[in-house]
Amino acid sequence: MTTPTQVADVAHRLRESRAALAQRPALDVIEALGAAGQRFLDASDPIRLEALAGLPESSGLSPAMCVTVLDGMAADWTTERLQTLVAAELGGADVLDGFVARGGRQTMALGPALAVQFVAGGVPGVGVTALLRSLVVKGPTLLKPGRGDLLLPTLYARALAAIDPALAESLAVIYWPGGSVEHENAALAHADLVTVYGSDTTVRALRARVAPSTRLVEYHHRVSVGVVGRVALSHDHLDRTAADVAAAVAMYDQRGCVSPQAIFVEEGGSASPVEFADRLARALADLEVRLPTGRLDLHQASELQQARSTAELLTATGGGLVRHGHAAAWTVVMVEGPSASTPPAGRFVRVTPIADVEELTAQLAPLGAHLQTVGVAGLGARVERIAKALGESGASRVVPFGAVAFPPAWWHHDGRGPLLDLVRWVDLER
Amino acid sequence: MIRVRLSTFFALATELEGRFGAGVDSPWTDADFEALALAAFAIQFESIEAYRLFCLGRGRTPKTVRSWQDVPPVPATAFKHFDFAVGSGNLSPEMTFRTSGTTRGATVRGRHLVPRASLYRKSLLPPFERHVLGGRVRMPFLSLVPAPAERPDSSLSFMIGAAAEAYATETSWLIDAQGALDIVGWRRAAERSALDHLPVVVLATSLALLHLVESLEADPGPPLPDGSRMMETGGFKGSGREIERGELHARASAATGVPSHRVVGEYGMTELLSQLYEPVLTEGGDAAGEYVSPPWMRVRALDPMTLAGLPDGHEGVLAFFDLANAGSVCHVLTEDVGSVSDGRVRLSGRARGAEPRGCSLAMDELLSAARAAGTDPA
Repeated sequence: MTTPTQVADVAHRLRESRAALAQRPALDVIEALGAAGQRFLDASDPIRLEALAGLPESSGLSPAMCVTVLDGMAADWTTERLQTLVAAELGGADVLDGFVARGGRQTMALGPALAVQFVAGGVPGVGVTALLRSLVVKGPTLLKPGRGDLLLPTLYARALAAIDPALAESLAVIYWPGGSVEHENAALAHADLVTVYGSDTTVRALRARVAPSTRLVEYHHRVSVGVVGRVALSHDHLDRTAADVAAAVAMYDQRGCVSPQAIFVEEGGSASPVEFADRLARALADLEVRLPTGRLDLHQASELQQARSTAELLTATGGGLVRHGHAAAWTVVMVEGPSASTPPAGRFVRVTPIADVEELTAQLAPLGAHLQTVGVAGLGARVERIAKALGESGASRVVPFGAVAFPPAWWHHDGRGPLLDLVRWVDLER
Repeated sequence: MIRVRLSTFFALATELEGRFGAGVDSPWTDADFEALALAAFAIQFESIEAYRLFCLGRGRTPKTVRSWQDVPPVPATAFKHFDFAVGSGNLSPEMTFRTSGTTRGATVRGRHLVPRASLYRKSLLPPFERHVLGGRVRMPFLSLVPAPAERPDSSLSFMIGAAAEAYATETSWLIDAQGALDIVGWRRAAERSALDHLPVVVLATSLALLHLVESLEADPGPPLPDGSRMMETGGFKGSGREIERGELHARASAATGVPSHRVVGEYGMTELLSQLYEPVLTEGGDAAGEYVSPPWMRVRALDPMTLAGLPDGHEGVLAFFDLANAGSVCHVLTEDVGSVSDGRVRLSGRARGAEPRGCSLAMDELLSAARAAGTDPA
């Protein structure tokens, strides 16, 4: 394993690479980054083949799910998407190369001298997206991925080195077991920007050790939910709605921060919340054929069994519904009152009836700043008013279920600008 | 109706207490166990509404169940939501034990109502005598488990209290309910025991033992005399501490002078009134890592997804059928993973580095944190 001293050496070298990187036109950098990203999409490219061969083992997702996840993630790694991202966030790549007129002033955007990034391991691909965000703004980056997301950044670094060895000097992917303070400190010492994706505990632990002059960009725990309004429960729409919700739940085996954990279903539609829950279960069962759930270890399976059996007891006494795939790790639960705990793995979704979607904001209030995406269906003209209320109570994204799983490259990730968070503006006044 | 059921329960409990009292070597044929298990199930099915509805949902009733293996096991986490007690409402529990509440969703603690404490007392003594004392001997107890008066809701404290009453010549309670170790009291007790050459039994949770070991490593005390032994139980869940069990035993052995082959691991939980022990005192150190249950408790490893029984030696989730639980539910499905060979349990540790659910925190943790203002699970 890499030692803390080696980490410090790498961090130092990355920082030194900035001088050369700064001289390159941003469009040229984006071109090279996109060319490396494209290799994950080209069906016969050895990089893609190696990714697909290794992902099931390293991520625990099923092979079919790995294909879907890679296609969805890598779509944002192309030159075109990266250009769109830069345009959306910074108004164009020119501002990364020198002073340009923006909003009546001369200004320039500088990437970090060294962005050290700590990424969680639940969803493969998040690490590559993170490293691209830094390189796109011409910031060298040291990426420390989570264990389940080591493969793709490593392959990306190799792909980039083959296409543009000079640019690859500004990228390092190093793994060490999470929480190793010596390694972390070795990296932090050279960083002028740190990003962290992870649990509130991880974020808090790191926050304490980042120097006040170092910018810290935090992506803490998030929860996403969904809401189904009456219109989507009509007999014409019910199966479609259930299929869309199931797909949003199933993607990444529900490990994403965008993955809905609970679905609020409006009462008074032509299908009741229980009927919807039953359809959702059928849709998850269908998906199990096309996009099977990945393997669970015995401990994860054990916690899942506890949740299922406990929900069975709760529904036996209090009404509601439990449907699950037995050996397949999908579960739909609808119970009144305090609910069974959420297991750590598998696809496990709760259905909660609400009298009217207008009540949703109050229901979600306890989630506060942890709320992220709200998938929606069947809200009709109400969507804008409800989205506004959801936003005010913490949500940063309201989106049809079909688009829940893969936000566009230029989304306001957790309500912020992913590139704007990384750059420093320099104004020139004459 | 209720009266009839209760009298049936009392008759069964009395019979069981007699059987438990006959000791761990008393003969228990499969047929004996089966008959008592099905009798207990019939009472629990009739008398505990939530359990009856659960069993009906699985199509299992006393009429259709032919063997204890077919009795639906209750998940241990359900003790956070339900009071499983025979005669609930008509028979007030003699004891209420609470789980430590250190698993995920920590704000909700489970509880185990015990309608008849003598069932627990009678069942805990013979295995303790065999595995912790190594025979019918009396000796001083040094307890790093809080006294029952300090922790009336702890089944472990109750157990040590009952064992001390039965077997201790004297008992030093060396830890309080908050977990503060009385190291001065330990040194005094250890010195006296060394001077008198009087072997002692040390009873400790893993966490308390680690605290003791760290104190003694910083400032050593006299070794405990030959013939001393130690019972260690429980893990480090929720404490933020974790060391290998082997390392803990080795360090405890070095710090106290109790040889590591005389450190007995106990495996138990609030939801089950019987305990399992490593039979190291009777079989030697090679038996470390194997846990033996009393004859009135049966254990199986099940497939965690389908609950199908697994062959000997295969890892699965552990399910126990414990007749000492006659007053609540006998068949309990734990969260623990292990294998069973010849009725003996081997526990499997959690694989390190298993990634939890992405960046999304479990909904219930957030929601339970939001409504943490003292809602009682019951």
